[in-house]
Amino acid sequence: MEQLHFRFTTRLELDSEVKNHYFTLKCIPKSNVRQRIESCNITITPDADIFYNTDSFGNITVSGSIIPPHSSFEFTLVGSAATGLDVFEELEDDEIKCAYYKYHTGYTRPGKYLEEYFKSLDLTQCKSTYDKVTAIMHAINRDLVYEKKITDISTSAEQAMSIGKGVCQDYAHIMLALCRMSGIAVRYTVGIMKGEGESHAWVEALCKNRWYGFDPTNNLLVDGNYIKISSGRDYSDCIINKGQFIGNASQHTIVAASVTD
Amino acid sequence: MEELYTHVNTINELLARYGVKFGIYKNNVFKEQLFPFDPIPRVITESEFDYLEKGLIQRVTALNCFLSDIYGDKKIVRDGVIPEEFIFSSSGFLAQCDGVKPPLNIYSHISGIDLVQSKDKTWYVLEDNLRVPSGASYPMIARELCRRTSPKTFHDNRIEDNRNYAKMLKETMNHVNTGGINVILTPGRYNAAFFEHSYLAEQTGSVLATGNNLFVENNNVYYKGYDGKKQRVGAVYRRISDEYLDPMVFEEQSVIGVPHLFSAYRAGNVALINAPGNGIADDKGIYYFVPKMIKYYLGQDSILNNAPTYLPFYEADMKYVLDNFDNLVIKDVAEAGGYGVVFGNSLTAEKKADFIELIKREPRRFIAQEVIDFIDIDILDFDERKPRKADLRAFVLTGSDVRVWKSGLTRFSRNPDSFIVNSSQGGGFKDTWVLSR
Repeated sequence: MEQLHFRFTTRLELDSEVKNHYFTLKCIPKSNVRQRIESCNITITPDADIFYNTDSFGNITVSGSIIPPHSSFEFTLVGSAATGLDVFEELEDDEIKCAYYKYHTGYTRPGKYLEEYFKSLDLTQCKSTYDKVTAIMHAINRDLVYEKKITDISTSAEQAMSIGKGVCQDYAHIMLALCRMSGIAVRYTVGIMKGEGESHAWVEALCKNRWYGFDPTNNLLVDGNYIKISSGRDYSDCIINKGQFIGNASQHTIVAASVTD
Repeated sequence: MEELYTHVNTINELLARYGVKFGIYKNNVFKEQLFPFDPIPRVITESEFDYLEKGLIQRVTALNCFLSDIYGDKKIVRDGVIPEEFIFSSSGFLAQCDGVKPPLNIYSHISGIDLVQSKDKTWYVLEDNLRVPSGASYPMIARELCRRTSPKTFHDNRIEDNRNYAKMLKETMNHVNTGGINVILTPGRYNAAFFEHSYLAEQTGSVLATGNNLFVENNNVYYKGYDGKKQRVGAVYRRISDEYLDPMVFEEQSVIGVPHLFSAYRAGNVALINAPGNGIADDKGIYYFVPKMIKYYLGQDSILNNAPTYLPFYEADMKYVLDNFDNLVIKDVAEAGGYGVVFGNSLTAEKKADFIELIKREPRRFIAQEVIDFIDIDILDFDERKPRKADLRAFVLTGSDVRVWKSGLTRFSRNPDSFIVNSSQGGGFKDTWVLSR
């Protein structure tokens, strides 16, 4: 077990004023068998009327609006958590209820690059789903090159595979695609981790009714160094800050995360 | 009845003046065209309607059970009645709606069921439309104008009055309303069915709104009109598709939706008519399973027939489709509005081979159906009667009970050789008379 303190800030800077700004944040970590969130405070500036909800994937949503003109938007999360209480999350429902995690989305649908790569993987030695997922993680970590600014948030697994490069989002999408091609239920997972200054993305796979976390970017099994924030079918279900406003402004986003003992 | 025919030009002129139009996009240009009215009605006898009514109520009841199950327990999948890939790989299944219960558990408040009658008089359901079925306003207004130009026709024939659609629709909205006004949400002036949106709002006493007029505060939906007054909204009959409904949950770039509308709906604070996610029930691949659904949920045999349908997904069906390709009509399950429909015998040898390859590669994507030689109904072409293919869209409304509107939209194809009657393909429409004796 680890006792962690975390701080997570996203700041949106706009070069001119906007108004009627509506947002939904998926930034609040939830307690589960792996992690116990002991405290978590969110502050939003400018002041916003907010309300909480839970989405269909079980993530906490913070929704709100800022109607008056403003040229920046910032939210900060400060809290502490006990993590690594367990290595997996027990499935709450049965497999049918989350069977949609087995099927491709726009981000994970394979084309010829993923098909070819999938064929090159030898998974015949893997006895269990868990072994298969681990083997896929090792392979991706070995064969992809971590490089920033080559891909963006709209890059699909197939596109990232075609260039063989990307960041954690691309690693995760490629891993989702390959696992789904093997018929395994997997979900995209967003969180923060020790030693990482931004938000991070990894994969959870359903192995014998238990969700295990795999981090293909770091080739690590998810442990007490990770705090999970949200999960879904792909990136689009886990967007930390989804928003819409009226105004013609170009935006610049600064993200800072810190997780310490 | 002949008197009515002499007034056809007057009626079409009036329809044009009232703005009864149908907009289509062709090559990225929005063009409005008149939806031509033909005065010769489709006539349905009382006993025939009784049969259709029973069948439609049964079908829509089962489809509502299915939607509630799919976004809830998923028993029909667990019990192996429908293979899971037909549900979860369908673009109609919206995971964002999973576990969300709409007010009073009603998903399909307004269902448009498309039927045809074959030459041996058997009715077949061709398609269920449970998302945003359009078209009820056309027979409503046409009937109104016909009554005005030829009152005698309606005096001499015992025809069920169809002017109650607005009342039925209003009751349907009121039934699920969570407290507040009823609103019809339109994408705006440049939508194919804008005439219908404004007409139905006027007829039902609802407020016609665009996304800009609605906003969500503290998880409740409000309407703000030009006078600046803020009113709580209890039911939204939305005429925009799911993906544009709420940029916070669906397409983030949507500017015609309402941010946080889905959140208010999820919390039970507003009714959305029809419920988001209904596309899974009118998926062409799911159509095949509707008779099985009726058996599964209601323990009954289906009263209405499906057109004989094959799923290349099943090996035996694939074989049948390949052996009988020229006699079948193949439909792409992802397409609507008469697009993506291919008649096997219409393809050149080369195109046919390509198409078969595609079916083999993506069997889940297609269904194949026997071509039903459905009956012609005469249309009036100047003074001459000419037979044309026609279908019937029946409107089934689910409120405190399930009711079938005693009328419907009869569409006919302009082209004498065409079986495709969708208004987006340039057809016209007729009044549909249900006789009361």
